[in-house]
Amino acid sequence: MKRSLAAGLFALFASHALAEEAAWAPSTFTLGNGMEVVVLPDHRAPVVTHMVWYKVGAADEAPGKSGIAHLFEHVMFKQTKNIGPEEFTSIVQRSGGQLNAFTSWDYTAYFERVAKPQLGKMMELEAERMVNLIINDDPKGPFISERDVVKEERRQRIDNNPGVILQEKVLSELWKGHPYEITVIGRMKEVAALTPQDGLDFYKQYYSPENAILVVAGDVTPEEVRTLAEQHYGVITPTGTVTAERKWQPVTPLAETQLLTHEDPKVRQPGWSRYYTGMSQRRQPADALALDVGLEILGGGMTSRLYQSLVEQQQLAISANAYAWTTLHDEGPAVLSASPAPGVTLDALETGLMAEVEQVLAEGFTEAEVIRARNKLAANAIYARDSQSGMANAFGGWLAIGGTVEEILTYPDTVRTVTPEQAIAAVRSVFSSEKHYIEAHLLPAEGDL
Amino acid sequence: MRTTQFLLASAALSAIAGCSTISGWFHGAPEAPSAETLAGTLAETAKPALAVTVHDGEFAEIQQFVTPGGVSVWLVSEPSIPIVAVQMAWKAGTASDPAGAEGLSELVTYSMNEGAGDLDSLGFQTAMEDLNMSFSCGAGAEWTSCSVSSLTENAPAAMALVATAFAAPRFDEGPFERFLREEEIGLQTRETNPNYLAWRTIAQSLYPDHPFARETTAESLANLTADMAREHMRTLMTRDRLIVTAVGAVTPEELAPLIDEVAAGLPETSSVAPVAPVDLASVPVARVVVDLPQPQSLVRFIGPGIDRANPDFFPAFVLNYTVGGGGFESRLMKTLRVVKGLTYGISTSLDPNPSMLTWSGGGQTKNESAGEFIAEIKSELIKFVEGGVAEQELADAKAYLTGSYPLGFDSNAKIAGQLMMVRQENLGVDYFDRRNALVTAVTLDDVNRVSKTYLDPARYSFFVVGQPQGME
Repeated sequence: MKRSLAAGLFALFASHALAEEAAWAPSTFTLGNGMEVVVLPDHRAPVVTHMVWYKVGAADEAPGKSGIAHLFEHVMFKQTKNIGPEEFTSIVQRSGGQLNAFTSWDYTAYFERVAKPQLGKMMELEAERMVNLIINDDPKGPFISERDVVKEERRQRIDNNPGVILQEKVLSELWKGHPYEITVIGRMKEVAALTPQDGLDFYKQYYSPENAILVVAGDVTPEEVRTLAEQHYGVITPTGTVTAERKWQPVTPLAETQLLTHEDPKVRQPGWSRYYTGMSQRRQPADALALDVGLEILGGGMTSRLYQSLVEQQQLAISANAYAWTTLHDEGPAVLSASPAPGVTLDALETGLMAEVEQVLAEGFTEAEVIRARNKLAANAIYARDSQSGMANAFGGWLAIGGTVEEILTYPDTVRTVTPEQAIAAVRSVFSSEKHYIEAHLLPAEGDL
Repeated sequence: MRTTQFLLASAALSAIAGCSTISGWFHGAPEAPSAETLAGTLAETAKPALAVTVHDGEFAEIQQFVTPGGVSVWLVSEPSIPIVAVQMAWKAGTASDPAGAEGLSELVTYSMNEGAGDLDSLGFQTAMEDLNMSFSCGAGAEWTSCSVSSLTENAPAAMALVATAFAAPRFDEGPFERFLREEEIGLQTRETNPNYLAWRTIAQSLYPDHPFARETTAESLANLTADMAREHMRTLMTRDRLIVTAVGAVTPEELAPLIDEVAAGLPETSSVAPVAPVDLASVPVARVVVDLPQPQSLVRFIGPGIDRANPDFFPAFVLNYTVGGGGFESRLMKTLRVVKGLTYGISTSLDPNPSMLTWSGGGQTKNESAGEFIAEIKSELIKFVEGGVAEQELADAKAYLTGSYPLGFDSNAKIAGQLMMVRQENLGVDYFDRRNALVTAVTLDDVNRVSKTYLDPARYSFFVVGQPQGME
């Protein structure tokens, strides 16, 4: 299946493509304990990116425990039965490795990037913390200081930035009642109350091979990875505590329109945006791709309708965009946003921008616009192959929310099938005038300007 | 480190997907020869053989050649992905802006993809989209650079478009006025941007009269004209100062004529006044707080650095890993983050730019703990001065710095950047091969000597942006 698929994809490519196909075609297999494995060969340099993805994220947190998925991810670097306090990072870096981890609503991922000979050691380390993590429960110990670190992270990423504070409020309204309602890093109060026992409970429930995906990209063959993976991960017994059911659910479309504002003395340039209930590539595969194509035309760059109308012709804005988050498992926001030109009020900006949107909704797109947009999206997929870690992220992130390797491989072909009718239909279904939305105004503090 | 994707960008699957066909590629696009016809065309019009010097290094096989038009190019041919990346740079940047015309070099680089020849801004941008290429330029204090990315099959058409940008840039009124509108907003927003405020305070405190301290102002923007930009472009971008690096699915023979086409429209030479170096060692240290209403304080500290030619440079480079360059393995991270929980991150770095050598660092902490944060930084620096580093710390630093070096060569984009760095800093084509040995040769005596000489906190100026508490 995979070979014929890849051959079909490259049939129109220049002659070197056939040699290329064998060199980088991804392969997948599953270990006996249920751990999925993806191998992405890339032989340009003798290095590998090794990732373990867990199918658990902030969306799975228990009520009142917001932030545990992310705080727990930090704690995974602390100590295990066979690795002393703070030694995990030391061992990886002494091996010439770079390492990090990240948490989303949908998943948690850990990675090391190393020279190829170190791959086995990295697997040994990740396997160790999959089963032997120790959480120190000293009330003045490392769990507590890590909680303080997360509070600083929250201040640095959110609380320092008025635009992000407003976005957090908006998303919380957009996803009201949905597991995505609370931002991944969690509510400050709930984070402050998390305990070592919360960490241990979370670990026991979710960290198990049948809930994990191994992704290895780089200078390896599937056979090499299989041998090492069976040696290090294949021997782990599943805990049996992971329930197959995630807390995902369809996002309820907004039932009313509202205005949210945030005023801050740090704001020197107002901002205007409207958030609508959008789509996801998992829940609405065809429509979400059509939406991406349509929004590329509506507000994707300098050639887009919004930029040309608002920035170039009417000169009401210095930027104007339309975009949607379609790569979460559940529906994300679809957004119209603009930043006013000097001296332009948000009212005037909004009137001009919505007039352009309504005109597009009424008239639709031209064939040439759609071809240009979908070719751009397809070409981005070629450029994306330049980054080894980017590719590992792409496959891991998509598989962690239930997608398949095939869907990624066929993406360029699929996106090229989007028609002008489909693109405008998708855009209309999100932004039509009867849809509710959250309008967000970012404003200077009273009397500040 | 340890990031959180709680605010995802609008990245669609496009940013992540796998491979592609080229079906439908040319609909609505200018005719571009396919890879096969490109090879055929070149064979027919082949010039005398290009003299290519191949440096078969450990991390990259670098092909050096001078085009028939006289441009020096370093190329790494990498056939496995059908893309080409070309970087161009000229030593002349914003420091060359005439007094009172701050912002001029930025206007030039802003305008480079805003219309050329028969194409206005929209026409040029549309042509780039039709070719699925990117082309943009930027100006730093001392360097102007442009980069082009293209699918291999579109490379001739992409480079032809770039050639028109260099030969017949339009500097139309529309994009020029848009630049001014954007800059006018920028003058406002920078006043509450903590990083900008820190930069300005550092510049005003340590080198106020140097060109590196100049800022755009409402007045300097009012002085700019499109004609000035047209003229200044010919100062910044000349053939004699052009250096080119490229990585991708292309051969020297294919690339050379494309580079010549691009360079053909540039003037041969221009006069750019050299920039006098800033010597931080000759300046008294400063302590400045800038008020900004936000929950955290941004702390920056900066002291004199070390030239690459100085025997202390590599010891300092290795030492910096243990000070603040090694992430969780650095002492500043271990103490201020892991033990004390005072920050999400703190780091230091050594900048070997001969025009301003620095050893600097910084991080953010809640306002309430700003005083403690700074005291802890100083206390850590004093420990380096008094006790140096342990044998194990040095061994760990060398193991990471040498072991991780290949990770900087695993993509075309990274290799292109590495090549450009080596060319800009004149490190030699064999630098990549020599570099790990230079790290390995560093001894404990070396790093402890450098600790004593350079890490005394009294040598460092400290700057805080926020509403810090507990300051001395």
